[in-house]
Amino acid sequence: MKKKLLAVFLSVAMTASLAACGSSGSAPAAGSDTKTETKTEAKAEDKADDKGTADASGVDTSEHVVISYMTTGDPPEAGSEKEQNLNDMLAKLNAILTEKCNAELAMYYIPWTDYLSNYNLTLARMDGSVDLVGTASDWLDAWPNAKNGAFLELSEDMLKTYAPKTWESVPADHWDLCKYDGEIYLMPEDNYAQWTNHGWIYRLDWAKEAGLANGVHSWEDMTTYVKWVKENKKDLKNVWDSDGTQYAQMANGWIVSHSDFVAIDGICSGALWGGSKSDLYTITAPAMTMTDSLVEYAKMMKEWDTAGVWPTDVLNNTSGSNRDEFRVGQVAVEQHHTQTWTDLCSHTPANTIYVDDPKAETGIFYFGEEAKNIVALSITHGAMAISAGSKNPERALMVYDLIRNDPECYELFNYGIEGVSWEKDANGLRTTPANYNSDTQNINGMTNYWWGRNDDLEIKDATRNWDAIDALYAEYDKIKIDYPYGQFVPEIDDIQGKIDNCNEQYTNYMKQISFGKYNGTAEDIVAEMQAALKTAGIDDVTAALQAQFNELYK
Amino acid sequence: MAKKEQRAITAPAKKKNVFQILWRYRVLELMCLPAVVFFFLFSYMPMPGIYVAFVKYNYRKGIFGSKFVGLKNFEFLAESGKLFTLTRNTVLYNLAFILLGNLLAVFVAILLNEIRSKWFKKFSQTLMFLPYFISQVLVGLLVYSLLNYDTGFVNEVLLALGREKWQPYSDPNVWPVLLVIIHLWQQTGYNSVVYFAAICGIDAEIIEAAKVDGANAFQRIRYIILPSLRPTIVILLLFALGGIVRGNFGMFWNIIGTNPMLYDTTDIIETFVYRATMSDFNFSTASAVGFYQSVVGFVIVMIANFIIKKIEPDYSLF
Repeated sequence: MKKKLLAVFLSVAMTASLAACGSSGSAPAAGSDTKTETKTEAKAEDKADDKGTADASGVDTSEHVVISYMTTGDPPEAGSEKEQNLNDMLAKLNAILTEKCNAELAMYYIPWTDYLSNYNLTLARMDGSVDLVGTASDWLDAWPNAKNGAFLELSEDMLKTYAPKTWESVPADHWDLCKYDGEIYLMPEDNYAQWTNHGWIYRLDWAKEAGLANGVHSWEDMTTYVKWVKENKKDLKNVWDSDGTQYAQMANGWIVSHSDFVAIDGICSGALWGGSKSDLYTITAPAMTMTDSLVEYAKMMKEWDTAGVWPTDVLNNTSGSNRDEFRVGQVAVEQHHTQTWTDLCSHTPANTIYVDDPKAETGIFYFGEEAKNIVALSITHGAMAISAGSKNPERALMVYDLIRNDPECYELFNYGIEGVSWEKDANGLRTTPANYNSDTQNINGMTNYWWGRNDDLEIKDATRNWDAIDALYAEYDKIKIDYPYGQFVPEIDDIQGKIDNCNEQYTNYMKQISFGKYNGTAEDIVAEMQAALKTAGIDDVTAALQAQFNELYK
Repeated sequence: MAKKEQRAITAPAKKKNVFQILWRYRVLELMCLPAVVFFFLFSYMPMPGIYVAFVKYNYRKGIFGSKFVGLKNFEFLAESGKLFTLTRNTVLYNLAFILLGNLLAVFVAILLNEIRSKWFKKFSQTLMFLPYFISQVLVGLLVYSLLNYDTGFVNEVLLALGREKWQPYSDPNVWPVLLVIIHLWQQTGYNSVVYFAAICGIDAEIIEAAKVDGANAFQRIRYIILPSLRPTIVILLLFALGGIVRGNFGMFWNIIGTNPMLYDTTDIIETFVYRATMSDFNFSTASAVGFYQSVVGFVIVMIANFIIKKIEPDYSLF
């Protein structure tokens, strides 16, 4: 009997330990192989300098420290010329940083493949491997991470002492938008004009050939365009070399183009909940309410699929190099935001379509154009946070203050070394030197500093097509509204399971709808999706969010 | 480790105290020390961490400082309304993998054993072993390159033969068969080694005697080799059954990816949980699911062991 009991006990222990091992145990280890660190110099001492933050009088910088800056993006290949150029820039920057605050900066990349998981995993490690963390409330889980304890609370004293310029430059009402539970967690990129509303980027010259003299201004026009391209440009790789992840922006794009829906950022990846321009603080879920319109969408996308706009196995396609294919004229459509279009429509060295075909032009049909429904960027679309695991938060703040506000550091970090990666032309605009190579010398594409760009220090890029860009921005300014939910940090612990399930169902059905990959009629698939969302508890989530809205706004 | 314990318990009838017993078997104990240390470090020490399945995990407060939320983390799986489909898919795939896998492995091992040319035996063994070393990511790409509609190899061949193209990535019904085939292709070489070793361990005298008595190759397989393999088969099956609710995430994720058209027949617990919780990075929910799988796995092992014990007590694990 004893033997039996022992055996049972042992086997219980074994299976249980498997569970423990598979979950919590693996957490700290799994991410380590995906990280890539580029250090410019020998490792400095890591000894924590635990000076009280309240002591604002003197800043102790006697010890040299390395501040690790975490950003999403693929690192330059080790040993490549590209990496060498990055290191050259960092060496210069670090010389300045060492002089000014006895610290240096090291890059810490989160590569694009599964970036969100690896991003969160790295933050969860809390072992001091990162200090400065580039984050975003809408696409990088800033608030969930703040709530989970990954970010350091930034007291006013701390900001005033160690990041005084940043503290002064951000107005009080903007700091308010960076607070959760009364504490500041984020330093927002609030002084940088950019538009990240999505849309269809297309070849304007081809659209004109297709009979759309003014370009594309509706989804119907877009249908005409893609069908014409399919028929007439047979040597393209695809009309649009899409991958399966595009569904979310497409669906959201359709919804804002056909309603006055305003999505709430940061609840889940799909734009499932939001208010409407006419009634901002009443929550709606367009997936449930816009039935007829979604049926129309499903039909249109089936039409695109049948016409062969994207690869047949688009849902399994992982190539994801459509944008580069657009630059060289292998595809005719790109779905991304305005900021990307400002690059694609400009005659930069990378965009060879303009050299190959002098008539080439790139237009954008932005989502929401038909309904005049666009929302300006939330100031926390890009922000910097300090990891709670950081051993040198004070010095990290000092470094950030410099790269955000010091012209010399800013230019080095954003553009690279003057004369190598960029230079000023006669008009004071930024241009590239004659022997510039965009593949290896584009520092901006390596530092990925999207968390505190500063229009006061920006030098306008001469290669950009400012005529077209300024015209579009003016159009936006006429119809835009400011993001209305900046202060809303949803409390979703109690409904997290339901949100995950809703998002999962929405994703599964929207993928099929958005790529026309469904069996049966459009009406059926939309009804099926709505039934699945109902089962997953979408109404409960809507009600819970509404209750929080009422508390905050009404 | 289990062996050591058994020894200790079934020690000689002469009453000796624990320390005397420990001293007496010191050499054996030393020999199993590495295994004991390994399991202690990697299986027993992290075990209290299972508590994370019952809290709302906060990075800074740690597992035991976080707020206790009871069974809240388990609700997610139940609320998904997919628990049944997911468990069914996971179990059925694993059942197919385990049963067909072992059957084929035994078959291959016997064939290998009958090969007389030493060179050819080694060659074919190596060849079958190789797929085991290919990473699942590559397998996923390989399958895609073979089967995709626009440029896939299979479709190019079909086209060249004047046949209609095949669209497996839009057809959920073909995947159970395809996935089983891919799994067998990858694992059989590896699995057969165990059986091959067991065959080599069979007392050569018995086989010699059978030969002298005039038994042909088939009779030797049927009456000597297969019965000798039975304990190995049973034990390997029992071990495999413990993991029957744990899906092969790497394989499913890399081959099926996030193509919702195929989920009906290919979504397993792991892939669903990964997709649904990837966006909010929830340790606790993931642990709750792991815990659920462990409990189900444990129950299945206990039942299987109980049944085997009724039929053939010698072969049971305990």
